[in-house]
Amino acid sequence: MPPKHILGTFDEALSSLRNNVLMMAGLAERTLDRAVKGLLQRDDNLCTTAIADDEEIDQLEKQIDKEGVDVLLRFQPVASDLRRVVAAMKLSPNIERIADQATNIARRARKLNRHPPLPEVEIIVPIQAHAMAMFKDSTDAFARENVDLGRAVVARDKDLDHMNKMANRRLTDRMAQDPKQLRGYLNLIFISRSLERVGDHATNIAEDAVYAAAAEDIRHQTVATAT
Amino acid sequence: MVSLVEMPQAMPQQLSRQNDRRADEVNGAEIMIDVRDLDFAYGANKVLHDVTLDIPPQAVTAFIGPSGCGKTTLLRCINRMNDLIEGARITRGAIHLGGVDINAPEVDVVDLRRRVGMVFQKSNPFPKSIYENISYGLRIAGINKRSQIDEAVEKSLRGAALWDEVKDRLDEGALGLSGGQQQRLCIARALAVEPDVVLMDEPCSALDPIATAKIEELIQELKMQYTIVIVTHNMQQAGRVSDHTGFFYLGKLIEFGPTTKIFTNPSERRTEDYITGRFG
Repeated sequence: MPPKHILGTFDEALSSLRNNVLMMAGLAERTLDRAVKGLLQRDDNLCTTAIADDEEIDQLEKQIDKEGVDVLLRFQPVASDLRRVVAAMKLSPNIERIADQATNIARRARKLNRHPPLPEVEIIVPIQAHAMAMFKDSTDAFARENVDLGRAVVARDKDLDHMNKMANRRLTDRMAQDPKQLRGYLNLIFISRSLERVGDHATNIAEDAVYAAAAEDIRHQTVATAT
Repeated sequence: MVSLVEMPQAMPQQLSRQNDRRADEVNGAEIMIDVRDLDFAYGANKVLHDVTLDIPPQAVTAFIGPSGCGKTTLLRCINRMNDLIEGARITRGAIHLGGVDINAPEVDVVDLRRRVGMVFQKSNPFPKSIYENISYGLRIAGINKRSQIDEAVEKSLRGAALWDEVKDRLDEGALGLSGGQQQRLCIARALAVEPDVVLMDEPCSALDPIATAKIEELIQELKMQYTIVIVTHNMQQAGRVSDHTGFFYLGKLIEFGPTTKIFTNPSERRTEDYITGRFG
């Protein structure tokens, strides 16, 4: 841990900003978990709770923006402090978008729950596990300033993209084979896509975590520059 | 005594005038001021320890660090202002300006100070007219032709972004100007003798934010022509105006590098702790 600032209020402001980001990430994780459980367990109450949780996350995004601007204005942070503030302000919209994806999943889950269960819903399980792990690890990389973990998360996004692609292919085939369930398969395709988007946001978070910890911009790297 | 400018044959490493030839053309590298292994002491009190850095031409270099860290002492070494303090001396190492050792016995210190102008923390215009403040240095340098002095006065005042504000009252006393105008007059006075380097020792510390912004804007314009070295306690100012920053602590140069790097990702823990306000 770095030594404390001479200005105690500076430490308090940075600490509050960080805590709000971590709280927001925790809430988004819970919302995503509830939304997918609502789908797999066919539990409308969980879906409704997940949708309702989004409001609190939206408010936290605004709070983080406000506190970030306040820290920039009052303390003019530099070096690692500046990177932490910038990263926090960039993390929060990504977390908010993850919560939005959770809401989308919960809404589609409620629609699916109105009809007989589709065995293909199991396709979602590994995709959700991969997306959730990426999200958890990305916020962990930020919280612990773990550069290696951040890099590892970014590398895992390709696997998620592939899983989503495979799911799309299989569900599209099923749509052709069983057109009566077309709407259900379409909802599963969108749910898979939402989880793939969660992975994209987790990647953004991980990239910002690496920037905060090591001042290194690892975005948009080609294979040549990344190695 | 030998003039640094007028002794080309006698001194193989003649001090180059930036207006004529850039230092890098002399040395083959982008270095205007080369500080090498420098130790400096006030009597028995050693205040600079083994300082080595290369100051590039036509750029702004900022020295930052807590009070007493040696940054002003180093600044004053560059035009040998410390010669005026009894017992103050360089005990090891050297400073080269455009390839010439500025402490070599044959160097004319008056000429050196003409090549390396200085602006101080508190503006210090002479209790004379605005015009005379600028013309004074020129007359000392042996320029007496009125038309030549008039031209230099206008050029210097324009260079210091003061001409439009004072052109109709050049004969009025300089002490009647505002603090910010007085500081820009001092900069104009330094520019009048066409230096290569302008040293600035906390030039804005006594100024309000508007006057500070004007000086900072001026520094950006001046660096196109001059090498600027500035000492500042204002971290934001160092971040705004400088291209390179050196952090000093307890007489040692802890870190020197591009300002963006120093203020976003310093390599040294002590730099990080100082600029983020964690010292103490």
